[in-house]
Amino acid sequence: MMDKTVKIRTENLCFAYNGRTILRNSSMDFAEGEITAIVGPSGSGKSTFLLILNRLWEAIPRCALQGAVEMHFNGRYQDIYGRNYPVTLLRRQVGMVFQVPNPLPMSIYKNVAFPLQLKGGVAKENVRSRVEECLRKVRLWDEVHDRLHASALDLSGGQQQRLCMARALILRPEVLLLDEPTSALDHAAAKGIEQLLLELKQSCTILLVSHYLDQVSRIADSVVELNNGRLVRKVEYD
Amino acid sequence: MSRTTEKGVEILFFCSAFFSAFLTLALFGFMLTLGLPLFAEGRFFSILIQPWAPHLGHFGIHPMIAGTLAISLLSMVFAFPLSLGCAILISVTSKGWTSRLLRKAVEMMTGIPTVIYGFVGIFLLVPLVREFFAAGSGMCVLTASLMLTLLVSPTMILFFCDSFERVPVSYGTAVLAVGGTEMQRFLHVTLPHSWPGILIGFTLAIGRALGDTLIALMIAGNAVQAPGSILDSARTLTAHIALVFAADFESLEFKAIFACGMFLYLLTTLLVMAVRLLGCKRKRWAR
Amino acid sequence: MRRVLEQVVVHFSRLCGIILLGAVLTVIGYLFVHGWSSLGLSLIFGATPPLDALLMKRNVFNGLFPAMIGTLSLVVLAVCWAVPAGMAAGIYLAEYAGPKIKAVLNLFFDIMAGLPSIVVGLFGFAAAVFLNRKFSGAIHPCLLISSLALAFLVLPYITRTTQMALEGLPLSARMTALSLGATRLQNIVRVLVPQSLTGIVSGIILAIGRCAEDTAVIMLTGVVASTGVPRSLLSHYEALPFYIYYISAQYTDSEELATGYGAAIILLCICLVLFLLAFAIRKRISYYALYRA
Repeated sequence: MMDKTVKIRTENLCFAYNGRTILRNSSMDFAEGEITAIVGPSGSGKSTFLLILNRLWEAIPRCALQGAVEMHFNGRYQDIYGRNYPVTLLRRQVGMVFQVPNPLPMSIYKNVAFPLQLKGGVAKENVRSRVEECLRKVRLWDEVHDRLHASALDLSGGQQQRLCMARALILRPEVLLLDEPTSALDHAAAKGIEQLLLELKQSCTILLVSHYLDQVSRIADSVVELNNGRLVRKVEYD
Repeated sequence: MSRTTEKGVEILFFCSAFFSAFLTLALFGFMLTLGLPLFAEGRFFSILIQPWAPHLGHFGIHPMIAGTLAISLLSMVFAFPLSLGCAILISVTSKGWTSRLLRKAVEMMTGIPTVIYGFVGIFLLVPLVREFFAAGSGMCVLTASLMLTLLVSPTMILFFCDSFERVPVSYGTAVLAVGGTEMQRFLHVTLPHSWPGILIGFTLAIGRALGDTLIALMIAGNAVQAPGSILDSARTLTAHIALVFAADFESLEFKAIFACGMFLYLLTTLLVMAVRLLGCKRKRWAR
Repeated sequence: MRRVLEQVVVHFSRLCGIILLGAVLTVIGYLFVHGWSSLGLSLIFGATPPLDALLMKRNVFNGLFPAMIGTLSLVVLAVCWAVPAGMAAGIYLAEYAGPKIKAVLNLFFDIMAGLPSIVVGLFGFAAAVFLNRKFSGAIHPCLLISSLALAFLVLPYITRTTQMALEGLPLSARMTALSLGATRLQNIVRVLVPQSLTGIVSGIILAIGRCAEDTAVIMLTGVVASTGVPRSLLSHYEALPFYIYYISAQYTDSEELATGYGAAIILLCICLVLFLLAFAIRKRISYYALYRA
């Protein structure tokens, strides 16, 4: 079969949030260039698991983590929780799209350009071209190119979610985490997002939390189930 | 922004917070050090009981304590029902745009300067009281309390309104669903559940009343004796500080105002603790 | 029986509203009735031509101009000290402080907020004495000391409004920028504070109103009845609220008293205008901070 590199390695993860154990001594590998769906019963902690992979759980009070997470960047495995590994760098290499679209209360242009401004050191002309590139990728350019300075909050739900994806993609992350990205969208918008993910998987390792089994069967290359604190790989799809 | 600049800014935030807290302690320290000569010969408790007669060597602030309590408590007797009634008017009795308009009016009232109340008090209220009661000069506990009521009521009203709003809507819908009126919902559900908030508002208003200087200074008469009736002239601790300030700095008389300052500081701390305890009770109540 | 109680409460609430509104309107109305006639340029500038006074070419002797400049200088200075310090402290409390430290610091800020203003004035005076003895004999109660004391007075308000505005933001608002690689400080400065500007600016404007109307603090830290426009930070100065207090005690004829009424009207208008500004400005500032591309 394929002999893909393992992009993400998690070992013996134990995670508790507010006294509740989400993960018990769980390990799992995620292959590069694949879409891996994460499924499981409601409330099992799938969304919280994603937060472990970009260290965003550290912004939430009363959480505790044990175990190791390594990711394959720049030709070798990096311990993303290592003391010398800057968390801001990690979050630029690992993009995230949330369940409820969360555009910043700014213009459409400023929303997508925002991660580049945070990073700094990117020339203005480059910013403009990168914003256009990302908006084209998410099929939003045609709809918004004439009102880039209008508020992002005026867009429809589907447009906002695609905007958030463009924003996550502008830094060209190697890993993309999506938490039920289509659950707040209508059918047509959901299909658009799925199409986009299939195109992205060549350049990105994608982890997708989803409740919709038909969506999973349509686009996922492999499926992992989180149940009772354990991650278990299910049947591999061709 | 480089890492060092970021670290620098974060240290600045930290220092601002701690320096401000430190100043609060330093304030008490200054009062203590500057008032020390007065306490030197173990006179601490006598200060609280003695009358004020510097020429006789008495530096007691007891009359002023009595004056402060008299004026503040009397004003709360007027202000509490008045504020509660107005809060009920805004939250329950009136609806829609009248309610919003009234609330805006009360919000604007909080911006009226204290000295204005004092000024109008002298020229309008004092003569009225003097004529109505046909006794005294009109500058007394009663007049000061009336003006103080106007001062503290707007903030108390807003606080009560917010407390009423915090009671979850779902609690009250049960009353409406069985055919009850808005007033019944208020009396049976909202009011009982907002008592902790009401008590906090009351305590904060007392703090404001105790701490006021201008109204008492201008219209309470400033006589150095504990008031025997509400028509007696009285002096508050705050007014006392303002008046004795004109005296010679080196004299023991002057040091006494630092004792007043300390007393007021401790009173404030007590009230803050009381509000905190009530706040904890409110959280437990909400669960 | 129940019905009677409800009716009583309804009528009582209406009565309270009438009493409160009536009393406040009487106070304001009385001021206007007696002070209206004194309003005019001569109230502010006395016998000096307004243009000369504004350009500081000549002194104003019988007008409120020096007092108004004094109040303005006080407010500007106090706000300059209090806003950066207050916002920094508020940001620290909302974003960096652990629960125990937060509880202790909150206690101190609550005490600061509850202190009577005359005690704050006493602190300012004591600090001036301390500085006078320790450092330079030239330091005495003056504009600088008063503005610092006023800053101390309003600092807890600014800190609290900043803290509450930041803490009121939902978790999702905090996480968005962080997930895009922002550092903690970038998140605060570029996303969280702009989203809380409404509350923060309202707090600042109310603090301005408090500085403009305060009398007790300035009485103990350097205000005088008559000295002209403040010449430097270390000089004495006049102020509107003190003028009103002073006139009420020391007026010699009805003309002087009328100026007191006039000053009261001016002060009242300033405070109410600031209050209305609090509502008007809030939304505009948020818009400019977030939407300029």
